[in-house]
Amino acid sequence: MIASVTAGLLGLLCLSIPVGIVLFILGFGIDAFFSPFPLIRGLGPLVWSSSNSATLIAIPFFVLLGEILVRSGLATRTYAALDRWVSWLPGGLIHANIATSTMFSATSGSSVATAATVATVAMPQAEKLGYDPKLFSGAIAAGGTLGIMIPPSINLIVYGFLTQTSIPQLFVAGLVPGILLALSFVLVAGVICSIWPELGGERRFFPFGQMMRALGDLLPIVLLFTLIIGSIYKGWATPTEAASVGVGGALLIALLFGGVNARMITDALIGTVKITAMIMLVVIGASFLNFTLSAGGLGHELRGFLEGLGLSPLMTIVVIIAMYIVLGFFIETLSLMVVTIPIVVPLVVSLGFDPIWFGILMIVLVEMALITPPVGLNLYVVQGARRSGTMSEVMLGTIPFVIAMALMIVALVAFPEIALYLPHALQ
Amino acid sequence: MARKTLFVLRRLNRMIAVVVGLLFLLCAATVLVDIVLRRLGASFGGTDEISGYVMAIASAWGMGFAMLELAHVRIDILRAQVNRIGRCVLDLFAMLVLSGTISAIAVGCWPVVERSLRNASRANTPLETPLALVQVPWLAGWVWFAVMAWLTFVAALVLVLQGRFEESEFAIGAFAEQEAMP
Repeated sequence: MIASVTAGLLGLLCLSIPVGIVLFILGFGIDAFFSPFPLIRGLGPLVWSSSNSATLIAIPFFVLLGEILVRSGLATRTYAALDRWVSWLPGGLIHANIATSTMFSATSGSSVATAATVATVAMPQAEKLGYDPKLFSGAIAAGGTLGIMIPPSINLIVYGFLTQTSIPQLFVAGLVPGILLALSFVLVAGVICSIWPELGGERRFFPFGQMMRALGDLLPIVLLFTLIIGSIYKGWATPTEAASVGVGGALLIALLFGGVNARMITDALIGTVKITAMIMLVVIGASFLNFTLSAGGLGHELRGFLEGLGLSPLMTIVVIIAMYIVLGFFIETLSLMVVTIPIVVPLVVSLGFDPIWFGILMIVLVEMALITPPVGLNLYVVQGARRSGTMSEVMLGTIPFVIAMALMIVALVAFPEIALYLPHALQ
Repeated sequence: MARKTLFVLRRLNRMIAVVVGLLFLLCAATVLVDIVLRRLGASFGGTDEISGYVMAIASAWGMGFAMLELAHVRIDILRAQVNRIGRCVLDLFAMLVLSGTISAIAVGCWPVVERSLRNASRANTPLETPLALVQVPWLAGWVWFAVMAWLTFVAALVLVLQGRFEESEFAIGAFAEQEAMP
């Protein structure tokens, strides 16, 4: 069954049938060929129960929050403020790209939205100040990927929903790896620009007074992050409720900055509906496939498959990582996650690994998928915002950051505590 | 005619998307007020149940809009390698499969609603919501999605048969906008 499902999955995806539809068709196939029971009767109840979810409504709320913030003009102020604080490092503004991405990641649950926001604000500066476009745009593409790691994260909500893992714990587990990744990006850019100063730009030093005044512009995002994450850990609100708090906060910020009008709200709402429906089709499809796979005896077959392979648990993880890296060249974040979760996560958990740890590992792997060609959405987004030069410049620019991510993967496997320390400590 | 149909469908679904979006906004506001009330020692009660219903209904009704905006993700490894006619054939095939699958889902969802109607079922919650009240609009959303899919498929087929490949690609191609991915 595993072999047939995998072959069917790849074949149907290659035919460019929408990912969510492919998942349903595979479920129908398992019902027809592998199940002694008529699983199709479960279709209606499953579509209802997987979409009637107070957990998943956090997705449109977080998307809406991001849509409002992106349209509020806050990004320009944040970028300028962070420029005052980090441009003294070798590489100058490149660090502002990474820092702005990190801050937006902390309020946005989406990587592409983060990259798009920062790229729009940063790119004109790069041209004006004469930066080498490769590393500059690579830093935005890579920095943007942090959006799905640093909480809140839409991808972690979907992972938690499909694997029955605690979403607050996943959020807190993503915090340390997310910050470490951001710091490693800064380090990588700093080292490269120390060795080859021509790749960066002018280092700029600002008077202390200006730096302190700039802090005011960072306050809204810091407050919003504290509000969202704080209300979850204070036990005041579930992730869903915290997301609604975030929407309220974002609207307030947009109001204060004068960015609210009917047009802006309509655009934000329409964008939210589009992204939510897109996510829900794959999530509902994955829930149905999950159900048919487990009813069709996946657990039993997986155990047999594993024993047949004779690999140690660690080697199995290495094989899984290799598989994600290869698939990541062609398939994007959320699709990559939902098509693999039903098969891979039961396998990993049966080997005795922590599902929270694996969720974080999977996020780093799909973050990598966002910036590895030929299909890497953040590459397209950043290139789209540049309107000059070639795509291969952006691809070259991301290489150092891909290496940093690869090191992060090794570190997570070697020291699972990087992800697990905080959730355990807070329990 | 085909072009006009697609134009009307897009306009119509855009209006639906605004209504669905407002539903989300209203739901967020309700949840927000409930949190504040809870801190003050009171509560509406049942906001998470209502959020669930909103999510089910809103996502069903948003799907047709997402389809017309080409937001449902497709992997275009093969598609990117072939010429325009090849792309149109793949697009039509994908659209046909989508329309068939969504119709199957809509049919598969009917027994859920039928049972709620027949038994006048109520949710097993303090609100005791009559399930038909929320499941009928939910099913209607899936039926709407199926109808939109078939209409779009036929319109695109007509465009292709007329040799207007570019317009067909505009209507049912892949990746109009990259921004739609989280």
